[in-house]
Amino acid sequence: MTGLATAGQALDFDELIGAHQSMVFSLAYHFLRDRESAEEVAQEVFLSLHRNLAAIQSPQHAAFWLRKVTVQRAFDEGRRRKRRPQVALEDIAEPAAAARPGDPLLGETLRRLIATLADAPRMVMILRYQEDLDPMDIAELLEMPVATVKSHLQRSLALLRGKLERRGLGEH
Amino acid sequence: MDWLDRELGQALNRKNPSPDFAERVRWSLHVQKHQPAHGLQWWLATAAAFVSVAGAGGIGYRQHQGEVARQQVMQAFRIAGASLNHIQTQVREVRR
Repeated sequence: MTGLATAGQALDFDELIGAHQSMVFSLAYHFLRDRESAEEVAQEVFLSLHRNLAAIQSPQHAAFWLRKVTVQRAFDEGRRRKRRPQVALEDIAEPAAAARPGDPLLGETLRRLIATLADAPRMVMILRYQEDLDPMDIAELLEMPVATVKSHLQRSLALLRGKLERRGLGEH
Repeated sequence: MDWLDRELGQALNRKNPSPDFAERVRWSLHVQKHQPAHGLQWWLATAAAFVSVAGAGGIGYRQHQGEVARQQVMQAFRIAGASLNHIQTQVREVRR
């Protein structure tokens, strides 16, 4: 805890945890695919937030700051643990039973496929579909050109779509 | 938005951490707060180093003192030996 922290800041910090814990945890969880690692990352992120609380200017700034730091920590943890399956998206085996839209099996299949993407496109997909961010916001968070974000999105979606359509899940 | 967008939105929806997550964050802050400050840690490390050096110095000093005492005893033996030789020489001369 910083020596400058006041009772008011402590209250705000508690509110920030309550408001953003699922966002921070989920970004790390979808990226790392490991609940324990994701909680460790999320905890580090909030401890870091507490150390930097004086620099946070608004609730919107807090949300942006948390997303950015979570992304960085998730990348670091991913590199450190090297747990990501080293299998190309194209090489994932077709499930025996075809899933249908809304089927939990399809959701799990999609998460598995996304987990095989390289770090940058995987995080782009997570930020797009978990956080519903547009390419410009994603580009700002990841410090990459908007065109690169769009390219990652298009390529990842094409790969996923092709894989699922081969299982008979086309346009609905 | 097509079917794949919808499915991805559902597959990557937000999840909650453990129910005690916030409490564990607060506990970690509490633990960090009660760790010794960096200044105190520096003083503790310095004091530990000083004690180690002083201890090593004490052992060295005792070893030095032991060596001095050994040399004094050897010198005493040499003096006593020389005196004994001198006395024996005089005794032999008197007997002649």
